Amino acid sequence: MHTITFHVNGASQTVHVAATTTLLELLRDRLQLTGTKEGCGIGECGACTVLLDGAPVTSCLVLAVEVDGRSVETIEGEAKDGQLSALQQAFIDAGAVQCGFCTPGMIMSARGLLQRNPNPSDEEIVEAIAGNLCRCTGYEAVVDAIAAAARSSEAPRLLEDDDPAGGADA
Amino acid sequence: MLGDFEYVRAQTTADACRRLKEEGDRAVAYAGGTDLLVDIRNGVRAPKLLVDIKGIEALTRVRARNGTLLLGAAVMLNRVAEDASIRDRLPALSEAAVSIATYQLRNRATIGGNLCNASPASDSIPPLLIAGASLHIVGPEGERDVPLGEFCTGVKTTCLECGEIVTEIRIPTIEEGARTAFVKQQRIRGHDLAVVNLAGAYLPSDEAVRIAVGSCSPTPLLLEAIDGRSHDPAAIAEEAIRLADASASPISDVRASAEYRRAVLPVLIRRLVARLFDPQGGA
Repeated sequence: MHTITFHVNGASQTVHVAATTTLLELLRDRLQLTGTKEGCGIGECGACTVLLDGAPVTSCLVLAVEVDGRSVETIEGEAKDGQLSALQQAFIDAGAVQCGFCTPGMIMSARGLLQRNPNPSDEEIVEAIAGNLCRCTGYEAVVDAIAAAARSSEAPRLLEDDDPAGGADA
Repeated sequence: MLGDFEYVRAQTTADACRRLKEEGDRAVAYAGGTDLLVDIRNGVRAPKLLVDIKGIEALTRVRARNGTLLLGAAVMLNRVAEDASIRDRLPALSEAAVSIATYQLRNRATIGGNLCNASPASDSIPPLLIAGASLHIVGPEGERDVPLGEFCTGVKTTCLECGEIVTEIRIPTIEEGARTAFVKQQRIRGHDLAVVNLAGAYLPSDEAVRIAVGSCSPTPLLLEAIDGRSHDPAAIAEEAIRLADASASPISDVRASAEYRRAVLPVLIRRLVARLFDPQGGA
């Protein structure tokens, strides 16, 4: 067994894990963070995507022992104080969810994208989620949701510009 | 749970080589794990010890020395795809790297792992073959350099001896004005392994064209240099097609039939050569 200490959604955790335990198993079965899903288990579907030191990875192909000293973010870290993140809200508003199984992975891939590129083009969004398979709704609503979330990060400035009462030419 | 193995993180190359030598066939070098962990899960391989080499600092560097680009074996593929020094010198390798799997897997998969996997369909091998790359190998008995063309000895086999690891990919200076490109045929537009993959270079100093062909033989093929003095893409492509057809021995598998591979090879060679002579155009 290996003793590892790492951060999950900002909180420090110390756990004992076998070498053969995957990060996905650690999150779901030990830490009860079951928002992260197992689809294929071989890195093809992206349902288990989490951020490892900010970079999207498929947690089914990461050994738990490897995250010692590192930082992991999962879908459970998106909502803060009971408030959905702008990205989560955008998925709802765009109808980018059907069965929802792929959604946590989609959102974590999108989170990774927006962290490295706050204003992605549609093409960049498509490339970022190419490793997240959806078998029910399709992808256009997902791309729309991520684009809307990116725009919403500029919302305060846009609102100010668009507000006739507060604008210079009012 | 994945199989039954122990895990150790090597701190230095010497440490990794010693562990791998001590354990022999029971141990395997572990880098990105995107192939190895899948093989373990599927019961294809059953190592008893994974020696993690990703934390060895020397294996994670990209640097230049006397014009040679030195690419650490544990550099992940997204970094290969995005690194400006690679894009400037060998854009065919950047294009190949970004075509491999998905963004998430490229955050784990490494350039050295892709080479050591020795797949006939490896996307990183053809661009490195046209660049004349060699591999720096370190083992318990010492160090050696092996030209990439001699590294893969067959389907999924390499010349690595027990205890040896690839530490660095060495890419010689590519002359000013050289143009390189990568072309890949796959079943779908999203991520997929290659049906046929090709890399090409046009070298202005001796007006030669070099082409490497993947997925059509047990190990990717580097064709003999083609005279490019005519600057006629159609004629150059026909010569490349003649050479490729003579040395290709494609097989039928889940991705394509041998007949399809042989039929699509000339089409891809024409596209590749068109891109080498008209970087803005082509397919």
